[in-house]
Amino acid sequence: MQDVQSTQDTVRPKRPLLAWFDVRSRKLGSWAFALNRLTGLGLVLYLFLHLVILSLLLRGEAGWDAFIKLARSPLFLLMDAVLIFGIIYHGLNGIRVGMVGLGYGVRAQRGLFWTLMVIGAALLVASIWLVFTI
Amino acid sequence: MTKEITFKVFRYKQGDPAPHYDRFTVPCDENTTVLIAMQDIRRDQDPTLMLRHSCHHASCGTCGMRINGKEELSCVVKVLDLGTPTVTVEPLENLPLISDLVVDMTGFYQRYTAARMPYIRQSEFNPGAEPPEGIDRYTRYENCIECGLCLSACPVAGSDAEYLGPAAMAAAWRAVEEPRNGDGKHALNWVDNEHGCWRCHIAFECSEVCPSNVDPAAGIMNLRRKLTGSSLLRLFGIKR
Amino acid sequence: MKSYHALIIGGGGTGGALAHDLALRGLKVTLVERGEVTSGTTGRHHGLLHSGGRYAVKDKESAVECIEENLILRKVMPGTFEENDGLFVAITEEDVEYSRLFIEGCTDCGIPTHQLTREQALAIEPNLSPNLILAVQIPDATMDAMRMALRFFATAKHNGAEFKTYTEVLDVEKTGGTVTGVRVVDHRSGKESVINADIVINAAGPWSGKVADMVGVEVPIRPSPGVMLALEGRLCNMVINRMTPSGDGDIVVPQRGLSVIGTSSWVVDDPDNLGLPSDHIEKMYAEGEKMIPAVRKAPFRAAWSAARPLIGPRGADTGRELSRTFKCFDHVDEGVEGFVTITGGKATTARGMAEATANVVCQKLGVDAPCRTREVVMLPHTAYFTG
Repeated sequence: MQDVQSTQDTVRPKRPLLAWFDVRSRKLGSWAFALNRLTGLGLVLYLFLHLVILSLLLRGEAGWDAFIKLARSPLFLLMDAVLIFGIIYHGLNGIRVGMVGLGYGVRAQRGLFWTLMVIGAALLVASIWLVFTI
Repeated sequence: MTKEITFKVFRYKQGDPAPHYDRFTVPCDENTTVLIAMQDIRRDQDPTLMLRHSCHHASCGTCGMRINGKEELSCVVKVLDLGTPTVTVEPLENLPLISDLVVDMTGFYQRYTAARMPYIRQSEFNPGAEPPEGIDRYTRYENCIECGLCLSACPVAGSDAEYLGPAAMAAAWRAVEEPRNGDGKHALNWVDNEHGCWRCHIAFECSEVCPSNVDPAAGIMNLRRKLTGSSLLRLFGIKR
Repeated sequence: MKSYHALIIGGGGTGGALAHDLALRGLKVTLVERGEVTSGTTGRHHGLLHSGGRYAVKDKESAVECIEENLILRKVMPGTFEENDGLFVAITEEDVEYSRLFIEGCTDCGIPTHQLTREQALAIEPNLSPNLILAVQIPDATMDAMRMALRFFATAKHNGAEFKTYTEVLDVEKTGGTVTGVRVVDHRSGKESVINADIVINAAGPWSGKVADMVGVEVPIRPSPGVMLALEGRLCNMVINRMTPSGDGDIVVPQRGLSVIGTSSWVVDDPDNLGLPSDHIEKMYAEGEKMIPAVRKAPFRAAWSAARPLIGPRGADTGRELSRTFKCFDHVDEGVEGFVTITGGKATTARGMAEATANVVCQKLGVDAPCRTREVVMLPHTAYFTG
């Protein structure tokens, strides 16, 4: 591309993952950014897990029933709650990133983040209540 | 009131196997800035300590450092305001280290100048004021002081060594926003690539650490809006 | 071993301007600086491109130098100055009295003036004190202290001058009565070496006394610090000077989005130990708000000290009575050959100082080359880093 010196420092080589997730003394934006990546990776992982589990259906009723029983255990329900958190956070922060990333609401991004998070928290509480009561 | 403060200072000399930290104790009063403390160390304890500094009032941009992990201009950070008994002082990141607290700004300036932003802009201060006889309009220097704090704080610069970086793209936006000697098309083309404005991941750290009201993140987002807008228009066959 | 025609000690505005001048004359030049360039006095002044008005009454020699250089620099450094002119403001009857002397002095020195009524002045600078009586417009301008000087360095580098930063002079090498070079340490690696040159120029500003001591010659330099105060917000677009003889807190210089108030004056022995007296900071507020009342309420940004390299006998004590002009010393009359000191002066006159010094250097080296720095347009400051 252009003829510019690399910003890589050979004395202090930087691991890209550390660059993304090192939030020490960083502000809201980095936390949101790191959490978005974390939830994103989690959701991809979940998608594969989900497909694997659905494939149990192909192997007959017994296996599927055993899984449903496991899925009703409190520990599993807690994992459901974590999943829901991931979906809600990634989705709502995605709205913010999408908007801001196209140049809309840039100066209001902090307020936007917290507004969406309040909505997210309400959704999360409602979902968890449903998960544990139904 | 004077207080003894310990500074844990990043040290590296060319040829050293690895960097290390040295500890120095410096008496600090309410006016002592981190920059003055570093100069005091150089004068009284270790004349080999290397640092950059020039204006001492947040206008030149040379004295940027990581103070307790945060990018700051050391000339305007008062030591006692930090409130920590030990103050860690490190060079900026995402720029090649030369020695101690000094980093190589070549790459920074290569990117920054490629935006071709004129350094003198129209002054927006005292908007009602009429310029005097012989002066067409009040002008002033651009906000950016080329300190590199934004580049150091940027998580994307840490993972893409070719990234154009916040300061350079903020300059590109200024060249588009107030074109002066051109139409800003060069700047728009220059940022429109995978190491340019589309690489930004919207962490806003650049704008958080900027000591000079540049708001680079907003500049990058404005460039995107402009580029998206013209792409959409092109999609519908409208040329501008 | 590589040898240079000229070796300059000190990477401030003076050294940079001299390197630029000598490089344009075709000399092989190198410059050594113990820190980053412009890390001494150069970067730390308030950023005024003097019209000469400040000196027009009592120091006409300096005033004439200023207005000449002011006009030259605007031509050879386009895009470096906030060209908004300046005002001398009278807020007491005593100031009004002084304005007559002032206008007379400016006219004598060739500095154009334009007198404004209270109403006219308030229309162009609304933040001025309501006590304003009259104002006089003069061709001051503002600069970014470091970036202006960097244009000398950038252009000199482009023309072949070599800059060795973080390189501290340990000693000056002599053979008999002739200076042959300097022994330096490179702080990046800790390595020591000797650099040879036909002539060594001491351009170390307030530190030039220390360099002269290494050679065993006398330089009557007085490091004279002043305190400056930077406030957030650009309270004025023009440079605002008080219509009084030179004194503490007599100027407000707008810079980018800041307003800088300067300055005080005292004398120290060690240019590395200036201190920052709190009462001087308060003095800047007190005097500044007489011209622009909003000074008191503007958010604090920074306060700092910078040492002027004034020429004077070791004995004067406030610094104010010392002349602001510059002086080039050829130490041959003290029995030392190959060693020249340039000192005094100010950022506005750095080019002129360099021209005078380069003339001396070329004469000593037997080089016949005219000065070209009045015409050659300089590269932008960024070229120092990218070039």
